Amino acid sequence: MRPDFYVLNWNDLIVSLAFIAFSLFLIKKWKLGLEQTLLVGTLRSFVQLTLMGYVLTWFFDQQHWAFMLSLLFIMILIASYEGTRRQKNEIPHFFSAMFVALLGSAILILGTILLFILDVEPWYSPYAAIPIGGMIIGNGLNSTSLTANRFVGELRHREKEIETLLALGATPKLAVYDAMKASIHAALIPNINAMMTVGLVQLPGVMTGQILAGIDPIIAVRYQIMIMYMWFTTATMANIIMLTIVYRQFFTKKMQLRRELLREQA
Amino acid sequence: MPNDPLFQFIDVSYEAGGNKILSRINFAVHKGEFLAVLGASGAGKSSLLRMFNSLTSPSQGQINFRTQNIDSDIQCLRKNVGILFQNPVVFSGNIRDNLLAAGRWDNNIAQTLDHELTHALEQVEMGNIELTHNAKDLSGGEQQRLALARTLLNHPQVLLLDEPTSNLDPKLSRSIMDLVDKLRKTLKLTVIAVSHDHLLMRRYAGRVIVLSRGEIVGDGPFKALDRSAVFEKAGLLGNEVNDET
Ligand SMILES: Nc1ncnc2c1ncn2[C@@H]1O[C@H](COP(=O)(O)OP(=O)(O)O)[C@@H](O)[C@H]1O
Ligand SMILES: [Mg+2]
Repeated sequence: MRPDFYVLNWNDLIVSLAFIAFSLFLIKKWKLGLEQTLLVGTLRSFVQLTLMGYVLTWFFDQQHWAFMLSLLFIMILIASYEGTRRQKNEIPHFFSAMFVALLGSAILILGTILLFILDVEPWYSPYAAIPIGGMIIGNGLNSTSLTANRFVGELRHREKEIETLLALGATPKLAVYDAMKASIHAALIPNINAMMTVGLVQLPGVMTGQILAGIDPIIAVRYQIMIMYMWFTTATMANIIMLTIVYRQFFTKKMQLRRELLREQA
Repeated sequence: MPNDPLFQFIDVSYEAGGNKILSRINFAVHKGEFLAVLGASGAGKSSLLRMFNSLTSPSQGQINFRTQNIDSDIQCLRKNVGILFQNPVVFSGNIRDNLLAAGRWDNNIAQTLDHELTHALEQVEMGNIELTHNAKDLSGGEQQRLALARTLLNHPQVLLLDEPTSNLDPKLSRSIMDLVDKLRKTLKLTVIAVSHDHLLMRRYAGRVIVLSRGEIVGDGPFKALDRSAVFEKAGLLGNEVNDET
């Protein structure tokens, strides 16, 4: 018999603290010196997620398009800020590049999903827009941060190559084409590999959650398929928008490579 | 005007990263010259050379190319003014891919026929190497020749050289510089070569500009400069690597 729900209550959660206790024991025994970090991490995940649960409950009660749009807007702002903070290199206007990239992909991909795939009624229903919007923005953030880092690495590595192309008469866009291609490949190939192996080794988190919460695996699978396609498209689109803005920052109006931006920062 | 200079530098200064790299540079280059720019390491030679094809711009001052502001058409300028760096850049792929690198944006180059490519290779004395040869397998000297052939396909009027032979042995250096000088005569090129090796340069250059800490301390034929002690003051003596043979 398939149970309808496996409800996890607070007592169960306290039992799961035993995992942490066991990890602590191992850390001590092996003198790994991670006790304090682990305790902080344990506490933070507990508090943050619990708070988020209450916040989400409140969000899910709000039924207004303006509320939903403002919320998504704030999520994109925070993600752009986070992306800028993670960036190890100096990229002028990186915040704006992230913002435009995430906004563009959120509008197109979230819009398509809400309006044409899930036919959510009304489209601003928080039950769909918040989790899916969060996935798109979060995934876009992770992917573009990595790609931007990689892109700057490619520029450093190819500085002479880029200047040689400029010297032969190339526009900046053509001079960095190979660097852009390499960094987009590096971002997308793991996504494609994930699509190749999904379900063979482990079940994706969303699907696992849905099945545990009592949803028919066949339906959970359909969601997962949609999510994977959505992830890939988000990554492709957000990276292309971001790089289109970012590569320009590395050139002057006179089509000169701004080599000072490529010096290794201390 | 036949006597208009090809390049004119007017009070050019360059600062970067808080350093004064070039100060108040004034000179002109005329068509057909072989100009050597000599100076110790860090004197500002590369910074100066990069201004001739606008890979770098002065912080102050003005540069004219054929009496026009050098930045009035940068892509056109760069096709007219080819550059060879100290370490030649060779792209992955074969020799043909390398020669056609500019074909991505230039239809004339994209449509170059194989016999024209072979001709470009002959011009740099590599006519015996197949177009399908992997470019990364070439020796250092051959890579520099390939880079030269790639530049020649743009039909430049000016060739800039930034210590193009300093990683090659003296014999190879000379054969490449001989080639450049021969091309200067047959193709009526203007050559501007940066080096710290005055013995190599005096074989070819009719005129030398000596840079020291970003300033021009000498400008004229080698013989005239030998009489003043400019080379000595600029720290250029005592590090000769090319034997006079
Ligand atoms: N973009 C830059 N930022 C800071 N310093 C620079 C920059 N370009 C060159 N320099 C410095 O200016 C000096 C001259 O450099 P360069 O023109 O390469 O000299 P050379 O080719 O004669 O060795 C060097 O000390 C170099 O470190
Ligand atoms: Mg130099």
